[in-house]
Amino acid sequence: MRGPRLFATVAVALLLAAAPVAAAPEGQLTWAVHVSLAPTWFDPAETPGVITPFMLIYALHDALVKPMPGNGMAPSLAESWTASRDGLAYQFALRKGVTFHNGDPVTAEDVKFSFERYKGAGSATLKARVAGVDVLDAGRVRFRLKQPWPDFMTFYGTPATGAAWIVPKKYVEKVGDDGFKKAPVGAGPYRFVSFKPGVELVLEAHEAYWRKTPGVKRLVFKAVPDESTRLAMLKRGEADIAYSIRGALAGELRKTPGLTLKPSLPTFTEWVTFADQWDPKSPWHDRRVRLAANLAIDRQAINDADYLGFGKVSANIVPRDFAFYWPAPAYPHDPAKARTLLAEAGYPKGFDAGDISSDNVYVPEAIANYLQAVGIRVKLRPLERAAFYAADQEKRLRGLVRQGSAAAGNAATRIEAFVLSTGIRAYGGYPDIDGLFREQATEVDPKRREATLHRIQQLMHERVMFMPVVEPAFLNGVGPRVADSGIGAITGHPYSSPYEDLSLKAR
Amino acid sequence: MKRFLVKRITYSVLSLFLLSAIIFFFVRVTGDPAVLLVEPGASQADIDAIREQLGLNRSLGVQYVTFMSDLLRGDFGKSFYYRSPVLDLYLSRLPNSFLLAGVAMLFSLVVGIPSGILAAVRLNGWWDRVGKIFALLGQSLPSFWVGLLLILFFSVHLGWLPSSGSGTIWHVLMPAVALGWVFAAYNMRLTRSSMLEVLGSEYVKLARLKGLPEALVIAKHAFKNALIPVLTLAGINLVIMVNVAIVVETVFAWPGVGRLAYEGIAFRDFPVVQATVVLGGAMIVVVNLLVDILYAVIDPRIRYER
Repeated sequence: MRGPRLFATVAVALLLAAAPVAAAPEGQLTWAVHVSLAPTWFDPAETPGVITPFMLIYALHDALVKPMPGNGMAPSLAESWTASRDGLAYQFALRKGVTFHNGDPVTAEDVKFSFERYKGAGSATLKARVAGVDVLDAGRVRFRLKQPWPDFMTFYGTPATGAAWIVPKKYVEKVGDDGFKKAPVGAGPYRFVSFKPGVELVLEAHEAYWRKTPGVKRLVFKAVPDESTRLAMLKRGEADIAYSIRGALAGELRKTPGLTLKPSLPTFTEWVTFADQWDPKSPWHDRRVRLAANLAIDRQAINDADYLGFGKVSANIVPRDFAFYWPAPAYPHDPAKARTLLAEAGYPKGFDAGDISSDNVYVPEAIANYLQAVGIRVKLRPLERAAFYAADQEKRLRGLVRQGSAAAGNAATRIEAFVLSTGIRAYGGYPDIDGLFREQATEVDPKRREATLHRIQQLMHERVMFMPVVEPAFLNGVGPRVADSGIGAITGHPYSSPYEDLSLKAR
Repeated sequence: MKRFLVKRITYSVLSLFLLSAIIFFFVRVTGDPAVLLVEPGASQADIDAIREQLGLNRSLGVQYVTFMSDLLRGDFGKSFYYRSPVLDLYLSRLPNSFLLAGVAMLFSLVVGIPSGILAAVRLNGWWDRVGKIFALLGQSLPSFWVGLLLILFFSVHLGWLPSSGSGTIWHVLMPAVALGWVFAAYNMRLTRSSMLEVLGSEYVKLARLKGLPEALVIAKHAFKNALIPVLTLAGINLVIMVNVAIVVETVFAWPGVGRLAYEGIAFRDFPVVQATVVLGGAMIVVVNLLVDILYAVIDPRIRYER
C-alpha cells in the first residue's frame, strides 16, 4: 500500500507544480492625469457621455459587454447574448462564479437594477425604447424593446452609455447613491482604496477578477492640471504614465532617453462646418467654393504640427473606427485648383468670408492661414468654451464653425447630431439625407443598413457639407518602469486599459 | 466705540452680501455648465437632464433665493463636478492653503526684511541697487513662470525636490517660493521705505548724537519701529496668499483652495466658484475688520474720526 500512496502523493505534487498559477500582483503604477478626478466617475449610472470617466470605470467596474482589445463588443460579465429574429428582444447569459469586490455574486437582478438606475448620457433614448427587463433566472436576463432598434447594442454595449456596467444592487441599496460614490464597489479588476477629491485616487488589485489576476498591485491616479508638470513628473519617475502631453512638449518627451511617447486615437474627429451653405446669398452656398476651401488646407501639415503626425487626416466627420463608416476619398492639398474653383465660382480675387468661430485656436488658426493663402479671407474668432457651445447649439454662429466630437456611437449617431436638419449641432440639412436616415433607423438587416448609411456619407461628401480635417491623436508619455501601459490597446479608447493586462518591467 | 463697532460690522456684512450677489450673477453670465459636462453632439434630452439634476432649469430668481437662504444657513450647496458638499471640499483644502501661505509668508519675510534693511542702510550703494532689481523682478516675473523654472532646475535638472503634489515638507518648498517671491519684493520695498523714514526721524538722530554704535541704532531703535507696518501688512498678506495662489497651486498640483477655485472656473462649477469667492472674501473682510478694531483700540482718534 505504501508504494501506490507515495506515487499518488508525488503525482499530485507534480500536477500542482505544473498547473498555471496566477502570479500575485506586484508593484505600483502612478498616473499623472490631465483632468480632475470626480467621484461621479465611480458610478457608471452617471456617465455623462464623455469618454473620460471610463478611465476609472474600466478599473472599478465591469460590463455585460464592453470594448476590449480586438473586439468592439466583447463578452465580459455576459458570456454570450442573442437577439431575437424580430429584433424585439436581447437575451444575455451571465458568466458564472463572478463576484463583486465585496464578495456578492453578480446576478441578473444586478443587471436589471443597474439598467433601471442608470441616469447618464443616452438614458432617455434607451429607456424610451426598452419596454422592460426580465430576470429569467439568476444567470439570464432579457431586454424587451418597444420596436426593433438596430442601435440597441451600440447604446448598451459601448461607452455611448454606462448602462451595461453592473453595480451591486444590495450594496447600493444599503449605502445609497452618495455612499456608493464615497466607497464604490464593483466587479472590475481593481477595488477602491482611497480618494481625495481632485487630488489622488488609489486602487488595489481585485485578485479574484474573472478574466485574470491583475499584474500590478496598486494603481495611483494623481490629478496634475499643468502639462509641463506632468512631463517633469515623468522625467523624475514620480509618475509612470502622463496623459496629454502636446505639441513641443511631446517633441521633448520623444527625445528624452528612457521615456516613450505613446499616442492613442480616440474616436474623435475635428472639422469645419459651412454654416451658411443653405443661404443662397452666401458664397458658401456654391459647392465649388466649399470644395476650394477643402483643397486649400494641408491636413498632413496640421497633423504633423499639432499631433506629431500621429493623428489621421480625415475626409469624413465620422471616425474611421465607427461602425458603418464610409472611407471618403481624401482631399489633396491643391491651392492652385482651389484658386481655379474660386474663379469659376465668380471669386477670382477671393472674398471676405467672415469668421471662423472656435473654442480653441490651434487647428483653426492653421486653417485660417491656408484659406487666406488662396484668397478666402477669414478672421479667427476664438470663443470661450461654454460661450462657444451655447452659441453653436443655438446655431447663432455664421460663416465657418470649427466643430468636433468624441461622442461614442456609430455613423448613425454622428450623422443624427451633426448632419440631419433636426441635428442638435447641425446648421441645416437636406431632405433626401433626412429621408435616408429615417429609412436606416428601423432597418434590422445590417448589410442594408450599412448601404444606406454609406449612401448618406457619400452624399455628404459629394455636396461638400463639411471640411473634415483630422482625427487627432491623444499623446501620452510612458516611463521606463512600464512594460505594458495599455494605451491604445482598445480601439477608440484613449486611456490605459484593460487594467488587468498592465505590467511593470522585471527589476 | 460701540457705535464704531456696529458701523464697521454693518459695512462688513453689507460687503459680503454684495459680493455674494455679484458672484452669483457673474458666474451665470459665463455660460451653461450643462454643455461642458456632455460630449459635443449629445442629445438635447441629455443636456436637459443635466440641467434638471443641477437645478439650472429653475428661474434665476428661484435659484438666487435658494442660494441666499442656503448661504444664511452656512450651506454652500453641492459641487456640480464632485457632487459633494462644497463646504466639505473647501475645508479639506484649506489647511493645505494655510500651510503653503504660511511657508510663503516666512520666505517673503526672511528675504524681504533683511534685504530692505540693507538697501535702506546702504542707500544708493551696491545693496540698494541689487534690492531695487530684486523688487523689480519680484513684481514683474509671473508666479507660474517662476514655478516652472523652479521645477525645471530643482526637480528635473538637479533632482533635489519633488515636482508636484503634497505630503512632505519638500513638496511645499518650491510652491512657497513661487508664491512668496512677489510678496518678498513687496516686503523689501516696504521695509526699505519704512527704514528710511525711521532713520531720518528725530529720535534716531538723537541716538546717533548720543554716540550709540550704528549697529545698535539700526537694530534697537530703527528696526523695531520700521517693522510695524511690515508685520501689519503680513497678516493681511497671509489671507491674500491663501486666496490668490490659484496659478501656483495649479502648476504644482498643490491641493489647496486656489486649485479648487481653478477647477470650479474650468468646469463652470457654480457652487464651488461661489463658495471660494465668498469664503475668500469673508476672510479678507474679517481680517480688515479686526485690523480696524485694533487700530481703534490703540488710537482713539480713529473711532472718533470715522
